Amino acid sequence: MRGVLADVLGLSAERVAAFEADTPLFGALPELDSMAVAGVLTELEDRLDILIEDDEVDGEMLETFGQLVAFADAKARA
Amino acid sequence: MIDYYDWPGGREAMLRFGPAHGPVVLVALPFWEEANRMRGVAVAMLRRLAERGIGGALPDWPGTGESLVPTEQASIMQWRDAHQAAAEALGDRRSYAVSIRGGTLIDTFALPAGRWHLAPMTGEAVLRDVIRLRAAAGLRGDEHGVFGAESPVRIAGNRVSPHFLAGLAGLLPFDQDGTPRRVVRLGHDRAAADRLIDAVPPWRRAEPQDDPTLAALLADDIAEWIASCEG
Repeated sequence: MRGVLADVLGLSAERVAAFEADTPLFGALPELDSMAVAGVLTELEDRLDILIEDDEVDGEMLETFGQLVAFADAKARA
Repeated sequence: MIDYYDWPGGREAMLRFGPAHGPVVLVALPFWEEANRMRGVAVAMLRRLAERGIGGALPDWPGTGESLVPTEQASIMQWRDAHQAAAEALGDRRSYAVSIRGGTLIDTFALPAGRWHLAPMTGEAVLRDVIRLRAAAGLRGDEHGVFGAESPVRIAGNRVSPHFLAGLAGLLPFDQDGTPRRVVRLGHDRAAADRLIDAVPPWRRAEPQDDPTLAALLADDIAEWIASCEG
């Protein structure tokens, strides 16, 4: 997940390494606009071999780093 | 240098690189915002090809770049006509189509000596990305919403005609019998390819970013492939 955010958002490795579960994402990272959200989701699909339905995309899953990891984790296990 | 080409609906700008003789590549960039993210890498790639003695052409399509055609009036057929016209403007040089992502759906009418496709995608895949982008933007654009729209659809700042989107249904990257075609993909893309390069896809980055290493890898791959085609 850190790799996806670093690659898509162009964030430094140090910056993403400092992300914690309660680090806010959507609304807090200026890099994370709608185009970037779409890029992050598509990149996650490619790397985790999952399919994310567009009606699953909401503000909540992107609120914090922890919520995004939990969402991807749940999808990867399903 | 900045050159031009004429297509049935007008005249568009075309950047030219490299020698005026010998083989030349005609680049078809991905659609809309992805083109902005890819342009820098494509230009660096064309400069490197020029150093290797291969010419390059990077045209605007109607409704993109410097074009006087409003973006929302562009259609797939128009872009295909423009691609063909740009290819004809290169004269009798042996030309090779270098098409990226959605650009592989545009490179269809010209008769290049070969096609080099970077991350080719179907029209359905372009539409899926559009729907996802609209979902991410909170616009709740389901398929019905996109197709049913009567006014232009906003896609990351571009006003795109619903006819353009409807025209994407069923389109496949062009693969013509008897014409050499090479497919290169990037990163974690697992679809069929002749080569997979470990790199972040420029079109997926949030901001346009230079990637000289990737530009050089792509240019070298194209140059070697052209050499094998000319062989």
